[in-house]
Amino acid sequence: MEQTQWKRSSKMWMVLASLMMSFFSGIESLSVTVNDVECVYEYVLYEGDTISGNFVVVDHDIFWGSDHPGIDFTVTSPAGNTVQNIKGTSGDKFQFKAPTHGMYKFCFHNPHSTPETVSFYIHVGHIPSEHDLAKDEHLDPINVKIAELREALESVTAEQKYLKARDARHRHTNESTRKRVIFYTVGEYLLLAGVSALQVIYIRRLFSKSVAYNRV
Amino acid sequence: MKSTMNSSSATGMTIMMLLVFSCLTTLFVVVPQAEAVWLTIPSSGTKCISEEIQSNVVVLADYYVIPGEGHHHLPGISAKVTSPYGNNLHQKENVTQGQFAFTTAEGGNYVACFWMDGHHQEGVSLGIEWKTGISAKDWESVAKKEKIEGVELELMKLEGAVQAIHQYLIYLKDKEANMRQVSERTNARVAWFSIMSLGVCIMAAALQLWYLKRFFRKKKLI
Repeated sequence: MEQTQWKRSSKMWMVLASLMMSFFSGIESLSVTVNDVECVYEYVLYEGDTISGNFVVVDHDIFWGSDHPGIDFTVTSPAGNTVQNIKGTSGDKFQFKAPTHGMYKFCFHNPHSTPETVSFYIHVGHIPSEHDLAKDEHLDPINVKIAELREALESVTAEQKYLKARDARHRHTNESTRKRVIFYTVGEYLLLAGVSALQVIYIRRLFSKSVAYNRV
Repeated sequence: MKSTMNSSSATGMTIMMLLVFSCLTTLFVVVPQAEAVWLTIPSSGTKCISEEIQSNVVVLADYYVIPGEGHHHLPGISAKVTSPYGNNLHQKENVTQGQFAFTTAEGGNYVACFWMDGHHQEGVSLGIEWKTGISAKDWESVAKKEKIEGVELELMKLEGAVQAIHQYLIYLKDKEANMRQVSERTNARVAWFSIMSLGVCIMAAALQLWYLKRFFRKKKLI
């Protein structure tokens, strides 16, 4: 009795595990500091998987100018081809179908000397196709629909992460503006007071008796 | 391979892991680092990854050194995880793999730093699986406890994802509200400080005039 129960539960776990594996997806949301080139690798299990993601340059200490110089983003397939290439941007979304399975390389290139912090999110989504359905008898057509639902929800999550990264960048700008307002205004007042005092001291010196020419 | 790091009963977990592993070897090609991101740790210097996480969120992470082609033995790396307030959440020296799990006490930037021990000529690849919130949830134990399986479990996962999306939207809304407050305060300050700067200018000029008049009167020039 216990043996059959164990066999049944093991079969259930195998079904579960195979179901979970077929809906495998890679989700990572992280920030890295890019000094020159920073590469992130992600393994894609199946050919035809949709790789989607976004990246935002969060921390940019630019003194003058509102435009970020931008970083370059390159995606290289395991065969060595460049799948995606975005140049000179401070944040973007991307989505493409993986031509082959294997290790994909996502590279950020910072052409300037100041290090930038990039917040990125990469998601590998797999929806079982009819070919997978024919191969594995445990898979139902309903699993395809569930996978599609899951992918749709993941795209919402990806959009949220993008929003959060852009919001973080906006908050950096706001904080910087707040600090600039306070420091520059207080500095301006002190400078003004100092310059007026210097003016008065200079005029006093002009009238002092110790100077050689006494008449103004 | 999904790695579950929560502390459930040890024997149940080992049986579960054996079953999953056997499924992987029989049904699919064994694929290492299925959900992980790979980074290269330079031979000298620290590589840090960070994420801004709100409070009360479960974080699970697993890191391992990827064996390269020419390496006979795996070089060891050191890891350190710090909370936004500076507390040391996890620290390990000279290991080839490790994992850490914690629940965030405060919201902020959580940083995980890795560096190579000793002197090596070239860097090493490190695989990191970093899961927060709903992705860190242990669905196997939920399935076992509620005795659900298959499609029902998948739908439950979807429901969890939808709830997580809702919570995240509320969190984003709160962050935006905070930022809006800061913006509006800065806006008011710009107006006030500009008018005050005009006032400071006029006051400086008036003080100068008053002082110079007094000075010239004293010198009997006026």
